[in-house]
Amino acid sequence: MSRKIFIIVGDNLGLSRQQINYDALEIVKFPVFVGETEYRQSEEYSASWLISKYENEKVVAKSSTLIHNEIAEIVERNRANYDLFIHVVMSSGLSAASFRVAENVKKQFENIVPIINVDTKQAINGVGNIVLGIIDLIKTQPDLSIEELEKACQQIVENTFSWFVFSDLEYLYRGGRIGKAQSLMGSVLHIIPLLGLMGDEKEGIVLAQGKARTFRQINDMIINQIKAKMQEKSVTTIKRAITLQGYGDKNKEAIAEFMEKIKTLPCSEIIHGEGGLVDAVYCGPGAYGISILL
Amino acid sequence: MNAPNLDLVEETKVAFDVEAINEIIDNIYHYLSKHKEYLNGLNVFPVPDGDTGLNMVLTMQGAIAHIQKSEETYIHSGEYLEDFAEQMLLNSRGCSGVILSLFTQGFTQITANNDFSKENIYRAIENGYQNAYNGTENPREGTMLTLMRALKEKYAELMPLYDNPLTIIQQSIPYLKEVLNQTPEMLPVLKQAGVVDSGGAGFVVLLEGINKELSQYVDNGIPLHNLLKTAHAIQKLLKKRLKKAHKDQTALSILNLDFSRIRNSRLAEAFQNAKVALSNFHLNHNGNGKTISREKIIGDLQEIDNSWNPEIKDKFCTEFVLETDQIKNKDKLKEKIGHYGDSLIIVNSNNKYKVHIHTNKPNDVFEEVSRYGTLLFTKVDDMKKQHKNFLSDDVVDYERDKSIFCIVSGKGFADILKNLGADDILCYGKNKPSVNQLVKGLNNLKAKNVIAASDDSDILMALKYAASLCKANVHIVESDNPISLISIMMSISKDYDIQTTFETAMNNLENIRFCGIAQSSRDVLAEDGTQVHKGDFFAVYKKKIVLSNPSKNQLLTNVIEKIVSNNNNLVTLYKGANIKNDEQLIKLLKDKFPSLDFEEYYGGQLNYLYYITFE
Repeated sequence: MSRKIFIIVGDNLGLSRQQINYDALEIVKFPVFVGETEYRQSEEYSASWLISKYENEKVVAKSSTLIHNEIAEIVERNRANYDLFIHVVMSSGLSAASFRVAENVKKQFENIVPIINVDTKQAINGVGNIVLGIIDLIKTQPDLSIEELEKACQQIVENTFSWFVFSDLEYLYRGGRIGKAQSLMGSVLHIIPLLGLMGDEKEGIVLAQGKARTFRQINDMIINQIKAKMQEKSVTTIKRAITLQGYGDKNKEAIAEFMEKIKTLPCSEIIHGEGGLVDAVYCGPGAYGISILL
Repeated sequence: MNAPNLDLVEETKVAFDVEAINEIIDNIYHYLSKHKEYLNGLNVFPVPDGDTGLNMVLTMQGAIAHIQKSEETYIHSGEYLEDFAEQMLLNSRGCSGVILSLFTQGFTQITANNDFSKENIYRAIENGYQNAYNGTENPREGTMLTLMRALKEKYAELMPLYDNPLTIIQQSIPYLKEVLNQTPEMLPVLKQAGVVDSGGAGFVVLLEGINKELSQYVDNGIPLHNLLKTAHAIQKLLKKRLKKAHKDQTALSILNLDFSRIRNSRLAEAFQNAKVALSNFHLNHNGNGKTISREKIIGDLQEIDNSWNPEIKDKFCTEFVLETDQIKNKDKLKEKIGHYGDSLIIVNSNNKYKVHIHTNKPNDVFEEVSRYGTLLFTKVDDMKKQHKNFLSDDVVDYERDKSIFCIVSGKGFADILKNLGADDILCYGKNKPSVNQLVKGLNNLKAKNVIAASDDSDILMALKYAASLCKANVHIVESDNPISLISIMMSISKDYDIQTTFETAMNNLENIRFCGIAQSSRDVLAEDGTQVHKGDFFAVYKKKIVLSNPSKNQLLTNVIEKIVSNNNNLVTLYKGANIKNDEQLIKLLKDKFPSLDFEEYYGGQLNYLYYITFE
C-alpha cells in the first residue's frame, strides 16, 4: 500500500495553489510587514498590491519567519490521515530561522509522525520547482522508503537551479537576503546584476552569476548559463522550468524577450509562475527569472 | 663643473668619489631630459600622449632619487652601478623604461667586478642586450632592442681599432643613428606614422649623453690594471733591500709616471708617497728628513690591492662597535673573527673596537664577539642589494586570499572600477607608474593572490617586474585599455577562486566593442588610406585609425553608424579629462539614433577624448 504523504510549504514558492496538482498540500502564508503592519497573501494583498506600494509610496517591506505553531497545527490536524509529512523549506542559507522552525516542529512530532524537512537551497520559483519535483517523485515512485525518499528529495534539490534579474537589489538587501556589497553591484554604469541560487552549491545563498548593461545581454547570459549547466550535468532536456515574472509593468520588453528566448530551450514543461505577496517583498518592480529542474 | 675627484681612467675604474659619480649621472639624466619632448613626439598614433622620453627620464630620475645613500665617500664603481641598475628597474616606467633598465642591469652584472676594460665592457653590452631581449615578450626588430644589438655588433667591430671603451662607444654612435633611421623599414607602424622608434632614439640619446659626459675624463686617467700592477711593483721594491732598488728598471719607470693623473685623492696620496719613498732612495736612503714609513706605504698599497675585489664573495657589509675588556688588541680580535670573511678593518680606541668586515654570516660574527663584551652598534648592509626588501623581514601577513588590482590613468575609470568590485586602484594620471609604485600597490593589498590588470600595454613590462618582486602570487591580465578592465570586472565574481577569476578575466577581455576618439597632433596617413590632418578628430577601432573628420560631432555620428550593429542597443561615452562643452552631445546623438540608448560617464583618460562602447 502506498504511503500517504502530506506536503507543507511556505507561500514563497513562486506558484499559486492552482498551479500545484496535489491535494495533500498546504501552503503556509509568510507574515509580511509593511512598516508596523502585518499582511498575509490574499486577493487584496497580493504581489501587485505590494509592487504598487513600492512604486507609489516608497515603502519598506519585510517578511517574517513562519510561525512554529502554525506548522505544528497543520501537522496535528492532518497526522491522523497521513503517514509522512514533507516540509519544503526555503534555503536555510537565506533564512536559518525558517529551517530551525521546521526542525523544531519535526522534533515536536518525533515518535508521533515522521517529517522530512527539505532544505531547498532555493527561494521563490526554485522552491516551487522542488515542490513539483517531489510531487512527481511521490506519484511515480510511491513505494520509496522514508530514507530513499529523503535521498531522492536531496537529489531534486541538487538538480534545481534558479536565475533572477532584479532591477533594484535594494529590496533584497533591505530584506537581509544579500549583503551591502552585493546590493551595490548595480549602482554603477546602470549594471544589471544576474543572481542565482544553485542547487549544487553547499551554502544555498544568493550568488552573483554575472553582470550586464543591457537586458539583451543578461537574457543571453541566462540562456547560456542554463545550457552550460545542462552540459555540465549531461542533461539533454530540462524536466521543468518555472518562470518568475509580472511584478509590475517595469522591464516588460526585456521580460517578453526573455520569455521568447526560453522557448528555445529543450524543456518538457514551462510554467509561468504566479508569485505571491512574500515573493514580491524581495523582487521589487520589474524582477524576472527562471528556475529549472534538470 | 669642478673636476670630479675620480680615478676614472681609460679602461677601468676603482673606488671613486660618490659625489662625483652622482654628478656625472645627474648630468647624463639632464641630457636625456633635454631630449624628452623630441622622444615623446615619436609616437605611432598622432595622439599627443607619447611618453617614451618621459618614461626613460622618470626611470633614471627614480633611480637617482632612490639610490642608496652611501655613508662612505668612496665606493666601488661596479657596486654603485649595480645598485643604480637595480634602482632603475624598481623605478622603471613603461616599456622603454623597463627595457633600458634591463639593459643596464645586464650591463652592470658584468661590470660588478669593477673591470672596465674594453673586453669586459663588450661582455657587459652583450649581457645587457641579452638581458633586455630575454626580458621582453615578443621582442621585435625596429625597437630599442635593435639599437642595443647594433651597439654590441659595432662595438665588436671597432674593438681592434681602439683601446678605450668610451672611444669605441663614441665611434659607434653614428652607426647607431643609421640603424635608428632604418627602424621604420623594420616596423610598419613606424613607417605608417612616419617616425623612427622612440625607444631606440632614446637609447641613442642616452649614449650620446654618456659619451658627452665621460669623454672629458677619458684622456687623463691611468688604467686601473696599470695602477694595480704598479702598486704590486712598488710593494716589491719597497720590500727589497733598498740599495739594490736603484738598479731596477721598474723603479725608474715608476718614477716617470705622472701620478697627478690619479684623481682619487686617497690613491693619489698613497702612490705619491710611494714615489717619494722611491725617489728618496735614489737620492738619499734616509729620505731627506721627511719621515714616510715604508710599512705604511706598503700597507696602503696592499689596501688598494685588497679593495679591488672583482667578485663579492661575502655578501654582507657588516659593521659593529664592541666594548670589551677581554680583548687586549686588534690582532686578538682579528684572530677571532678574521675567518668569517674579508676586508676586515679594525679601529681600536681604549676598550672600544670599531670593526668592518664583509661576511656571509653577520649574525655569527655578532654572536662570536658578544662573548667578549657588549655590542654598542651593529649595521649590516646587503652588498648585492638584490631584492633586499623582499628577502629580509619577509613576514607573510595576508589579510585575504585574493584581490583585484587595477591600474588606470583616468580618475573616472578608477571610480567605476572600484564600484565594480576592484579591491584597489592605482590611478597614475599622466606619468606611468614605476615598478616600485606597482610593487607597493601590490603589497598593500595584503592578498595571497592578486589579479592585476592595467589600461595600457606600456605598463605591462613594469607590472611583470613588479609581480616578480612582490610577495603575492600575481596573475597579470594582459589588458591594454580601460574598457577591457570594465569588461573584466563585469565578468568575474567575488565567489570565484583565483584560477577561475583569472581565466574568466582573460576570456572576457574583449567582450565590449569600443573605439577611441582623439584629436590629431600631426598629419598622418592611416593604414587604410584615411588622411588625418593635424587638428582633425579621428577614431581608433581595433587599434587602427578608421575614420577622421574636422568636426568632432560629425566624427562621432559617423563612427557610431560604422561600428554599431543590430545586437547593440546601448552606446556609452566615457569622457576624457580634456573634454569641454559637450553638454548637447548626448541629445544630438539621441536625436540622430533614436533606437539606441546613450549613457555618458566621466572616464578622465588623457589620451582619448572619448572611449565609446557598443553593447
